[in-house]
Amino acid sequence: MVASIGLASFMATGCKKGSSAASGGANPSSGGDTSGSTSMRKPMEGKGNSAKNGVITIGLVASETGDQKPWGEDSIKGAELALADFNAAGGIKGYKINLDIQDSQSIPAGAGNAAAKLISDGAVGIVGEVSSGNTVEIANRGFKAGVPVVAIGATMTKLTETQNNVFRVCYPDSFQGGVMATFAYQALGLRKVGVLTDNKLPYSQGLSRDFIRTFKKLGGTIVDQEKYEQGASTFSTQLTQLKAANPEAIFCSGYFTEVGPIVAAAHQMGLTVPFLGGDGWDSPKILTSGGKAILGDYFCNHYTNMDNSPVVQQFLKEWMQKYKSAPGTTMGALGYDAMKVTLTALKNCKTMDSVDLRNALANIQDLQCVSGTITLKGNNGTPNKRALVVKIVPMGPLGFQQPVVAYQPDPKTGLPVKVPLGSAAGS
Amino acid sequence: MVLHGLFLGLPLAALDIRTLPQQIVNGLLNGSIYALIALGYTMVYGILKLINFAHGEVFMLGAYTSLFVSWAFGFTPNATVEPQTQVWYLLVMIVASMTVSGLAGVLIERFAYRPLRNQPRIASLITAIGMSMLLQYGGQLFLPNSPPPNIDAMINPYRGNVNITLVKSNENLVAAMKSAEQTKLTADSAWDAQKKLEENSFYPSAKGQALQDAAQKADRDYIEAQGKYNNSGVSILMPVGRIITTVVTFILMGVLSYLILFTKRGRAMRAVSHDFDSAALMGINVNSIVTFTFILGSTLAGAAAMMDATLYQPGLQINTFFGLLPGVKAFVAAVIGGIGNVPGAVVGGLLMGVIESLVGWAGYTSWQDAAAFVVLIVVLLVRPNGLFGSTAAEKV
Repeated sequence: MVASIGLASFMATGCKKGSSAASGGANPSSGGDTSGSTSMRKPMEGKGNSAKNGVITIGLVASETGDQKPWGEDSIKGAELALADFNAAGGIKGYKINLDIQDSQSIPAGAGNAAAKLISDGAVGIVGEVSSGNTVEIANRGFKAGVPVVAIGATMTKLTETQNNVFRVCYPDSFQGGVMATFAYQALGLRKVGVLTDNKLPYSQGLSRDFIRTFKKLGGTIVDQEKYEQGASTFSTQLTQLKAANPEAIFCSGYFTEVGPIVAAAHQMGLTVPFLGGDGWDSPKILTSGGKAILGDYFCNHYTNMDNSPVVQQFLKEWMQKYKSAPGTTMGALGYDAMKVTLTALKNCKTMDSVDLRNALANIQDLQCVSGTITLKGNNGTPNKRALVVKIVPMGPLGFQQPVVAYQPDPKTGLPVKVPLGSAAGS
Repeated sequence: MVLHGLFLGLPLAALDIRTLPQQIVNGLLNGSIYALIALGYTMVYGILKLINFAHGEVFMLGAYTSLFVSWAFGFTPNATVEPQTQVWYLLVMIVASMTVSGLAGVLIERFAYRPLRNQPRIASLITAIGMSMLLQYGGQLFLPNSPPPNIDAMINPYRGNVNITLVKSNENLVAAMKSAEQTKLTADSAWDAQKKLEENSFYPSAKGQALQDAAQKADRDYIEAQGKYNNSGVSILMPVGRIITTVVTFILMGVLSYLILFTKRGRAMRAVSHDFDSAALMGINVNSIVTFTFILGSTLAGAAAMMDATLYQPGLQINTFFGLLPGVKAFVAAVIGGIGNVPGAVVGGLLMGVIESLVGWAGYTSWQDAAAFVVLIVVLLVRPNGLFGSTAAEKV
């Protein structure tokens, strides 16, 4: 998730989509995370921290204040739940794990300061953050100090390309654009689609680009492309143009903050074709701003409470026991997964220091997580995870996102392939 | 009728004459909101020769007031039951917004501008910018903005449209559309029947897949035929909420013109605007006139904010920067019309709206904001006092 609202958007919190091609010589690191593939990932510079007096400190950067507060709160809850589960299952013999949480204030500068504080506190590894802009700051600090970073929801494609201390538990933007194009063409049978992009967000521009590329490759036509800017107060010009182009659906790659009003306005002017989008739609607020118009539309997400798979149901049960209500956003599950990956790696460590933890993270293989199965070995920090296409349904106790189709990247081409819902397959 | 052309060496996207009337109307409707905000800028400038940069923040405070009133009516983010909206809710919201905005305007004038009135004009200008930033950033401390809320779109009771047909659609295409619709209905019902047998319709069996493909093909053909029919005519669609916004805007402008032109207070305002010191010598209470001007301008901003956030484009998120972009655009509108000139602000606002729309119509929606400023520069080069500004030489 790359949410950024209001002021934060001026500070380039959003996601940048870069070239996903990684080429060059073999990774000189001994971690084994690039076995069989090539990478530009440079080994981290510092020596990092290690456990002190039997206490291992794991840092967590989260937006406790600011416009990304809902994601920050959920990622903290998820991480704490993962730690509780880990300790209940035995933990690490002879060591106590201390979770050190610092506020990023929803802005990149705040995230950088939080990471610096955690590193000086002696954190062996850092978990966070949700937005790509914030994560880049944390990754840079960690790279210099030699501390590994496990991102929660940062989808920016090139995030993990250059530094070998950076890992994530979510899919990258280059994948979700293709997923929605494949879904539109194959599952919905659409051939002529209009595209509406938020010109102020690199995230939205990249996502639209990836959608268009895949949709055209499949044989579809883009009948019209319109642009708006975050903070605009009306979309009538764009919608009039789109309506005249007579599309069968509209791909709208911006954030929920504008998507809700856009879809409501489109329906009022008689443009009632389906709208499709990316994980920037993930907020219940899309229902209050979009009203009834948004119901039945589809977007790509990492996880939904309405997933019937046993892993998700078990996770939900534990979450409800601890926090009394279902997670409000996807970041609860991704926060849990990021923490689980970190703790599992820690358990495989021999010396309990940052360098050892990084190597253990790079060797994570087929770890069953709430948002899918995660393999970091050989994947340069970004797991080849499945993505869900969810349908917007009226708000219920488990939220409003009903899963309809799951897609898994093809290991060879990286193109999305339909897989059964709730399947634990793939890496 | 689709024209292709070149504009400054850039290839113009297909210019579609059929959407031109709709886009002009869109522009006029958008422009009326700019005009309403621009009136506040232009009136204050007319009296004090001060550009009140905090005007956009007065607009923002009006939007927040509407939000709080909507919460009081039960349209809270956590409402479990969707409350039913009433027209009088909107009346309470607009009155509350106008009151709070008016009050904010008066307080800003009293405590930020009045102490500096006899200082060089640059001091007031810097204070205005400071006031604007104080409200934008200081407001974050006590206004809900983390995460930013939005007024529930369902509070707008006017969700219909007014449709004006300019050129009737080609009736020869009706038959094709009807037959496509028939095919679609048949294919859809076959697929719907099969859906009940499928475990998951997104993972259909081979038989289901065939029926789904047929239904989707029929859907596409129908959309195609329907689009052909609709696009053979020319019509203008106006959402009722926007019409109401525009009508209210023009009523408020009429009331304002009456106040300025036909009342004693209005005459006093014009006198103060003409010559501050002489007006004071003639026995006019200058302070009360300035306060009155701020009340008028700020209440109009409050009304604009309420209508913008509920009727005009419901569902927009509200943060302390809500007034930034509308404020800047309205300021440009006021300058285009000739700052200090009331009808000029209205024309400037409408012109801004139409220009933005037409740039989008030409296929450059990403250049909408830039175009407005290009027009500003052109107007300032050709007529430095704006379209309606007085060209009389200033006595020195």
